Amino acid sequence: MADIEIEIDGNSINAKAGEMLITVTDREGISVPRFCYHKKLSIAANCRMCLVDVEGAPKPQPACSTPIADGMKIHTQNEKAKASQKAVMEFLLINHPLDCPICDQGGECELQDVAMDYGSDVSRFTEGKRIVADSDIGALIQTDMTRCIHCTRCVRFGAEVAGIMEMGGTGRGEDMKIEPFLTEGIQSELSGNMIDVCPVGALTSKPFRYELRSWQMNAVSNVARHDLVGSNIITQTYKGKVKRIVAKDNESINETWISDRDRFSYEGLSHENRLLSPQIKVEGTWKEVEWNVALDFAIRGLANNVINTHQSDKLGALASNTATLEEFHLLQKILREIGSENIDHRLNVKNLDHAISLESNIKLLGLEGIDHALVIGSNLRLEQPMISHRLRKANLSGASIDVINAMAFDFNYRLNSENIISPNQTAATLAGVLKSVLGNAHIEVPDYLVDIEVSDIAMQLADKLSQSNNSVIVLGEHIVNNPQASSIANLVSEIAQHTDSTTLNVSATANSMAANMAGFVPGKDGLDVNAMLAADLKAYILLDVYPQYDFHHSVQAVEALSSDDTFVISLNSFKDDAVAQYSDVLLPIASFYETSGSHVNVEGEVQSFAAAVNAPSDTKPAWKVLKVLADLLELPGFHYADSAQVTSEIMHQSHKQHAHNESIDVKVKRGINVIWQKSPYAVDVLSRHATSLQATNIGQINSASMNKATAKKLEVALGDEYLGVPVAINEAVANNCVFVNANHSTGVQS
Amino acid sequence: MISNKAKKQIDAWVVKYPEGHQSSAVMEALKIVQAENDNRLTSDTIQAVADYLAMPGIAAAEVATFYENYNHKPVGKHTIRFCHNISCMLNGSDELITHLENKLGVKTGEVTPDGLINVKKVECLGACVGAPMFQIGDQYYENLTADKIDEIVDGLK
Ligand code: SF4
Ligand code: FES
Ligand code: FES
Repeated sequence: MADIEIEIDGNSINAKAGEMLITVTDREGISVPRFCYHKKLSIAANCRMCLVDVEGAPKPQPACSTPIADGMKIHTQNEKAKASQKAVMEFLLINHPLDCPICDQGGECELQDVAMDYGSDVSRFTEGKRIVADSDIGALIQTDMTRCIHCTRCVRFGAEVAGIMEMGGTGRGEDMKIEPFLTEGIQSELSGNMIDVCPVGALTSKPFRYELRSWQMNAVSNVARHDLVGSNIITQTYKGKVKRIVAKDNESINETWISDRDRFSYEGLSHENRLLSPQIKVEGTWKEVEWNVALDFAIRGLANNVINTHQSDKLGALASNTATLEEFHLLQKILREIGSENIDHRLNVKNLDHAISLESNIKLLGLEGIDHALVIGSNLRLEQPMISHRLRKANLSGASIDVINAMAFDFNYRLNSENIISPNQTAATLAGVLKSVLGNAHIEVPDYLVDIEVSDIAMQLADKLSQSNNSVIVLGEHIVNNPQASSIANLVSEIAQHTDSTTLNVSATANSMAANMAGFVPGKDGLDVNAMLAADLKAYILLDVYPQYDFHHSVQAVEALSSDDTFVISLNSFKDDAVAQYSDVLLPIASFYETSGSHVNVEGEVQSFAAAVNAPSDTKPAWKVLKVLADLLELPGFHYADSAQVTSEIMHQSHKQHAHNESIDVKVKRGINVIWQKSPYAVDVLSRHATSLQATNIGQINSASMNKATAKKLEVALGDEYLGVPVAINEAVANNCVFVNANHSTGVQS
Repeated sequence: MISNKAKKQIDAWVVKYPEGHQSSAVMEALKIVQAENDNRLTSDTIQAVADYLAMPGIAAAEVATFYENYNHKPVGKHTIRFCHNISCMLNGSDELITHLENKLGVKTGEVTPDGLINVKKVECLGACVGAPMFQIGDQYYENLTADKIDEIVDGLK
C-alpha cells in the first residue's frame, strides 16, 4: 500500500492508504475513545464512541471504520468531535446501571475511564433503566448483563477467535441482549479471553468475584507452563497470593490470548492439599520436622543407600514435565556428579525403546503462514490450544488441514480430510504416504516400502503435501504409546524431508522441551524410567511426581518405589497418598508462580520468569532445595546466587543428542490399542487442584471411548468401567482402539 | 424435527445462495419450520434449523429474535399484527390497541382462552397512508376505527 500523508489535529502524519484511522491514531499515540474496536477482532463500528471530525465530511466519522485517504484532515479534539463523543457517552450511559461500587470491573473498566473523560457529572436521564437477566454460563465467567453496552466484542471473539460462536445478540432495539443460546455453559477452551475483551463489568472472572480491586494488586509478568507454548501472562497478586491471571501481549507467542487452563489453574495454589512442611518417615510414621532435619535425613539416606556403598548407579532421578529448566538442570547435575545416569522425565511413555524423536522446526508465528498441515494423533484444540488457534488462523486464510486420528474430535475449523484410523495402521498409512511422496518425486523407494500398498487416503495425503509450498506435519501426543511410535516419527521426518515440509512435535507437553535441553534423560549406560522401576534401585530423588497420574506403569511404579530397601526423597508441591506411601522424606516445594525459572517452548524459545509470590509457608523453590542438597552432599559447582546463574550455565553447555531408534517398522499390528490421555484439565498437579477449571465441561471429561465392536471384544458396555474410567460408546473412535481421557488417578493402568 | 417436506422447501432456498453460504437461507428456513410447528419457534426448532444449515444455534436465534414475524410464545389461530409505529401512533393506534385488548379480554402477547386470537404490536408495515392499520394473515386492514375493528374481529372464526 502506498504511503500517504494525512493531517491529524494539525500534525501531518505518514500512513498507508486504506488503513483505518484508529490504527494510525493508536500507532501515533493519539487517544481516541472506543469500546467495540479491538485490534484482533473484526470491525463492528457499533458503539460510535470513536467519532472524530473529518474535514469535508458532513457528519462525524467513526475512526475505527474510516479508511484514510491522501490529504485527509482529521480533528480528534475539536468541538465537533468532542460534542459527538460526549453525546455518544451520554447515550451509552442511559441504560448502564452505574453500579461501579459493587462492580468487579471498577478501577479497570474502559467505560469508567472513558466516562471520566467524556461523561457529564449529572445525568439528564430520569426515565427507568432496563434490567437484563443474567445467564449462568459456567464456572469461569460471571455475567452481569445489565452492565453490557452491546459492543459485541465477546460475540466476535467467539465467532472469530475461539471458533465457536457461543454468545450472540438476541432481540432488538431496547430489548437486545447479549446471551448464549442454550444454557449448557460455555464450551470453549479459550473462553476466559471474553473477560479480557469485555470493556465493562458484564463479563468478569467468576473465581475472582468480589475479591479485590485491581489497584490493590501487584502485577508480575510470568509464563504459563501447562503446554508447549509458554503463554505470557500477568499474575496479579495480593499479600503473597496469586489472585488472578490475565493475558500479556506477546505477538510471537500467544498474541493477546491465553487458554482457560493458563488463566484459571492458579486456583490450585491455595488448595488444602498443598504440602506445606518438611516431613520424615520414622518407623513408618510421618513426622513434621525442620528443614535442616529433613535435609540431613535425606543426605544420610543417600549416603547409606548409595554413596557410601559405592552403588551410585543404584540412584535414580525422575521429574514431572512441569519442572523448570533450572530444576531439571540441577537435578541431573546432582545425579551426574554422584555418578548416576539414571535420569528421566518421560514418565508416561510405555516403551522408551520406541521413543519419539522428531525436531520441531517451525515457529509459532510461522504456523499462521502455512498453506497445508497434516496433523497426526492430536486433539489439538484441547491439548495445545494456542497452537490450534494459529492453525485455525492459517485455515481461515486458506490453508488446508488433513488429520489422521484414532477418534473424530471437535476441530473448530474446516478440515480438508479427517481420517480416523486404528493406531495399528498409523505407521502403515504413513508408509503409504511416504511411498506415494517418493513416487511423486521420482525417487526410488527403499526396501521397507516395497511391499507397502498405497491406499487412496495415503495417496491423497501425499499429493497434498507434495503440492503445497509451505506445509507442516504436526505429530501429537496420541502417538507416544503407539507400539510403532518411533517408526511413525521417523516416517514423518522422511515425509517432511521429501515434501519440504516443516515438522512440529507436540508429542510431549508442558516443559518437556526444557527437560531435553537440560539433558534430563538417561546418559550412556543410564536407565530410562521403565528400566529404573524394574532395576531395584536403592534410592530415588523425585521432583513433583504423582505416580497414579504421571506414570504409564503406575502400579509397577508405586510397587518399585515402595520397596523396603529403597530410599525415596520426594520434592512435592502437593500431598498425595501414594507419594506418602513410598517416600522416606517429603520436601515441600514451591509450585507454579512461586518460583523463578524458565520455560522452553516448542520452538526452543527460553522464557525466564521471576516468582510472582513467595513460596507459601515452609515450602521452598525446588531449585534452592536442590542446590542445598548438592551443597550438603559436598558436590562441586553448585554456587549460585539466583536461578538466573543456573540458566546462564545451561545456556553455555550443550548435551549431546544421544542416539535414537532409527529403524522403521511399517507392519500393521494386531490387537486393541489404548490411547491413554489425562483429560485436558488434569494434565498436571496444579490444574487438577483448580476447582473452577474442574467444574467446566472440559474439566468433567472422563471417559474411555470405543466403538460398539471394540466394546464387544472387550466385553464392556455403557455403564461399565474400563481401566477405572467410565465406558462411552462412540462410533467416532477407530476400530480396535480405546481412547481414554481420564480426569482422575487410576491404579489399574498398565 | 424438520419434516422432509420442510427440508425440501428449505433446500429450494439454499440453492439460491453461493455454495457454502447456506446459512443465508436462515430467515426462510425459520419461517418454514415455524409454519409447520403451530406457528411458533422453540429453542429446539431454532437449533434444528441451525444444525440443518450448519450454523451456530445462537446465530439462528439472533435472527429468530430480531424479526417480528417469528413467534416464541404460543399464538392464536389468527395473529393480529397491530402497527404502533410513528404514523399509526399519531393516528391513534395506542387507543385502538387498548380498545382491542378490552374487547378480547386479553393483553397484547396473550392468546384468547378459545385459542382463536392474539394481538402483537409490530413496527411500520409500510402502509402509513392508511394509518392506523393492522395485518391478519396476508391481509392488511387500514384506516381502522373502533367500530371497524369490532366488525373485523367478530368475523374471525
Ligand atoms: S458482554 Fe461485554 S463484551 Fe459482550 S457485548 Fe456486552 S459489553 Fe461487549
Ligand atoms: S470503536 Fe468505533 S464505533 Fe465502536
Ligand atoms: S407507521 Fe404504521 S404502517 Fe407505517
